[in-house]
Amino acid sequence: MQGLIFSIKRYTVHDGPGIRVTVFMKGCPLSCWWCHNPEGILQEPESATRIDRVGDREFEVKEQAGKYYSSGQILEILERERIFIEESAGGVTFSGGEPLFQPAFLLESLRKCRGKGYHTAVDTSGYVDTKDLLSIIPHTDLFLYDLKHLDAGKHLLYTGVSNELIINNLKIIFDSGKDVMIRFPVIPGLNDDIEHLEKMRSFLSEYGPEKIRKLNLLPYHKTGSSKYSKFGIQYRMNGIEPPSPARMKELMDFFAETGIQVKTGG
Amino acid sequence: MILSSRVRKLREQSLNAVEKLSPERALLVTQFYKSAEAEGLSAPVLRARAFEYILRNKRLFVGEGELIVGERGPAPKKTPTYPEISLHSVEDLDILDSREKVSFRVDPEVRDIYEKEIIPFWKGKSNRDRIMKLMTPEWLSAYGAGIFTEFQEQRAPGHTVLGYKMFNTGFVQVKEEIAAALKDLDWFNDTEAFEKQQELLAMDISCDAIIMYARRYSEELMRLASIEKDEERRQELVMMSDICRRVPAHAPETFHEMLQHYWFIHMGVITELNPWDSFNPGRLDQHLLRVYRREKELGTLSDESMHDLLGCFWVKFNNHPAPPKMGVTASESGTYTDFCLINLGGVKPDGTDAVNEMTYILLDVIKEMRILQPSSMVQISRKNPDLFVHKALGIISTGFGQPSCFNTEAIVQELLRQGKDIVDARNGGASGCVETGAFGTEAYWLTGYFNLTKVLELTLNNGFDSRTGKQVGLKTGYAADYPTFEDLMQAFRAQVTYFIDIKIRGNNVIMKTFAHFLPAPFLSLLVEDCIANGRDYNNGGARYNTTYIQGVGLGSITDILTSLRYNIYDTKRYTWKMLLEAVDADFKGYEQIQHDLIYDTPKYGNDDDYADQHAVAVFEIYYDAVNGRPDSRGGVHRINMLPTTSHVYFGSVTGATADGRNAFKPLSEGISPSQGADSQGPTAVIRSAAKIDHLKTGGTLLNQKFAPSFFSDEESYSCLTALIRSYFALEGHHVQFNVVSADTLRDAQKHPEQYRDLIVRVAGYSDYFNDLGEDLQNEIIMRTEHE
Repeated sequence: MQGLIFSIKRYTVHDGPGIRVTVFMKGCPLSCWWCHNPEGILQEPESATRIDRVGDREFEVKEQAGKYYSSGQILEILERERIFIEESAGGVTFSGGEPLFQPAFLLESLRKCRGKGYHTAVDTSGYVDTKDLLSIIPHTDLFLYDLKHLDAGKHLLYTGVSNELIINNLKIIFDSGKDVMIRFPVIPGLNDDIEHLEKMRSFLSEYGPEKIRKLNLLPYHKTGSSKYSKFGIQYRMNGIEPPSPARMKELMDFFAETGIQVKTGG
Repeated sequence: MILSSRVRKLREQSLNAVEKLSPERALLVTQFYKSAEAEGLSAPVLRARAFEYILRNKRLFVGEGELIVGERGPAPKKTPTYPEISLHSVEDLDILDSREKVSFRVDPEVRDIYEKEIIPFWKGKSNRDRIMKLMTPEWLSAYGAGIFTEFQEQRAPGHTVLGYKMFNTGFVQVKEEIAAALKDLDWFNDTEAFEKQQELLAMDISCDAIIMYARRYSEELMRLASIEKDEERRQELVMMSDICRRVPAHAPETFHEMLQHYWFIHMGVITELNPWDSFNPGRLDQHLLRVYRREKELGTLSDESMHDLLGCFWVKFNNHPAPPKMGVTASESGTYTDFCLINLGGVKPDGTDAVNEMTYILLDVIKEMRILQPSSMVQISRKNPDLFVHKALGIISTGFGQPSCFNTEAIVQELLRQGKDIVDARNGGASGCVETGAFGTEAYWLTGYFNLTKVLELTLNNGFDSRTGKQVGLKTGYAADYPTFEDLMQAFRAQVTYFIDIKIRGNNVIMKTFAHFLPAPFLSLLVEDCIANGRDYNNGGARYNTTYIQGVGLGSITDILTSLRYNIYDTKRYTWKMLLEAVDADFKGYEQIQHDLIYDTPKYGNDDDYADQHAVAVFEIYYDAVNGRPDSRGGVHRINMLPTTSHVYFGSVTGATADGRNAFKPLSEGISPSQGADSQGPTAVIRSAAKIDHLKTGGTLLNQKFAPSFFSDEESYSCLTALIRSYFALEGHHVQFNVVSADTLRDAQKHPEQYRDLIVRVAGYSDYFNDLGEDLQNEIIMRTEHE
């Protein structure tokens, strides 16, 4: 079986514990305004233009974003990284895009990686078929779970989908007892108003450190913006600046009350 | 640790002192050689007497607030020359004075002294003149073409490090050893008894000389005390005077004595000759531990005074720039750094974890002093705790390229492979940039860099060098004459072997010039078993003798060979004619080809076996050509892989290459990938670099550039620790990190005045960014930044 992947990165250190390989799978049901991996949205190979520099000259090179890989090919890369992964107690993380958008391939890959002794993590938006989610839970050691907005209407506005399924699925994972890290993208003006922050805090407090191993506050950053023109997608974040380090510190203190370990960044 | 106002002041003075040429030593050595005293002496005794003459007559210097005394010149950064090794002409002095980088101010009076007194006496008589007369035409043409450099052309053999013994022995005791060896001479059966006697007598004179030098300081300090108005300082001066009476004559018993003892020894070594590298206290955290614990128990050493002493000690190294270098030697090592490398951590003689409380204290000193010299490194053994590595990473994260990280297990295995005793191996470490050595027992000489890429260029052109217009190499054929890639590699092997033969023959002659004309009896006191053997350090007297030739540009040559195999032989994308046309035109009008060579051809550093196999092949060819070949002092030739700044010089003599590199641009440094060639992250680089067999070398050098965000928190430290430990599990020898963004470096190029204190990792050492040549600055900016 093959999966559509737009990037495989070695030495990722912010997608779960230790040194990891992160597999970015292509295709996502959401279209978040701030998405920094827009090449991960469409579930088919796309053509993109890369600029290579040679001295003062620029060369436009057409390349394909998204290639098909077998799970065996992913394992080959992991085997090359084994020594680093073992030394650091790292593993493999499936991210995206939405990895559960390709559930059969994801399941097969998780099974194979687990079979070779790798710690597995799935970085998901949660907007996935519950049946698919249930199928991978036994083969996943850690969920990196995005919570973008707790208000259903706002969630729909900013991401294109409602959040009910996402919250239900999260509860299912909580019930399974698997490790969960909540990732909250801090998008100034969109989800960092005090009412929403308080709502988020009380939601997280309900589950607390027993269920939530860590809360990652992911400050909005602009590195994705240049990709939009490359893919010819409209960018809706003009004028929004990343939160300052002082603001992030403030938010860390704000969420510390939940008793959950809070960290800025992955 | 917080720097005291005393240390802050001394540090500031050292940073601000201007490098200036001092004629003092050259004048004294000239006076002595001219005197009647110098007549009729054997070479070692002549050298010992000259050493004694300099120490008796040189000016003493005691800086305000200093606790450790001794300067090579009349004041900090006043730097001598060594006319018996290499004579600076008036034109040389003008260049030193006016050159933009690594300059030395030459006052008109100084220029005058050289012109009237020093040059007339030494003209044609320096060892450099001697060497150049003795070299074969083949050697001279290869040297001129930039195939290799020659370390001993302007400096004496060095690369030795003080070991355990001399940190714990005074020269009075050394004199007793010498007396015993003299008594044991076998005048009936030993054909070398006379040579040994002369050497031992010279050693004895050298012992007296260093004790006398310390006595002079003791008296001077007493004199200063008698006129000192400040009572506290007066007491200090009296105490320092006492210390200079005890050491180095007797074994040091206190922390202060230990540092002063070492410093007198350091002074002796760099005054006697100008060894490359200068000299080195080596495993300082091991040596200081005895006196530290003893004084802590007695309650005689407060933390404040210990920090003061260490701060004063550190400043001393920074006061001593490398002696002025000229021509090719200046190009291959364009820096004021004199490569003293303090080792921390590693293992004890019994193989157990050597990290101790002194290790952490010294790490703190390194962090707070943040100064170019001495350089520092951590030996990381699998037995050392992660805490030690984390502390080191904490300093590295501040972005001044220190300390560098070394693999203790690799060092020990490299030394064992060379036949050393296991305790001697465990007492070893790395000095200079990355060079493995058995401290206190080995004379391991670096003899020059070897331009592997240039040899490949000649292999494609029937041994003819277009730049100098000379037939430099063997006539093995032209590029198109090699029907298969294997044929090409065979011709390359023949060329490498040919040039290594030339280099080794040259080494064996040059070594003898030092043995015959320039023995180093003082240095010989410090390295076991010179006394027992009655032989000079420069004549194979040490327990172990090793001679290195340093391979340069592994990344570049790997990419070039990979490109040739891929583009010519395997995919047949280009014919030789097309490719060589583009290369010969330096890609002008062939930009598409250059693009494809850079962006669409496999490269070393990405864990791609197709490319990396050529790194292994080149490494093995080079190893076979050098390793195990005898040298002329009873030692053996070995390889290591490091460049200092020679990758820039070697690039400047090498035309455009099939990896898409433009003519005369820098080559890759150490075993790092070519600048910008690695795109798969640090683990892929490490996997590629670990494919060569590091244990067959005496050191390899891997540099990595990281964005500061990689060092953001404890978790990233754990990952970096795992990265380092994995490389070391794969038997990598050394890795070092530049933690500074390319944007910062570009800004520093534009506004040097705002970045006067910016220190970056160059190759096996750190340097002020402002002191680097523009091409070297660009080369560092171009290195891939992991982010």
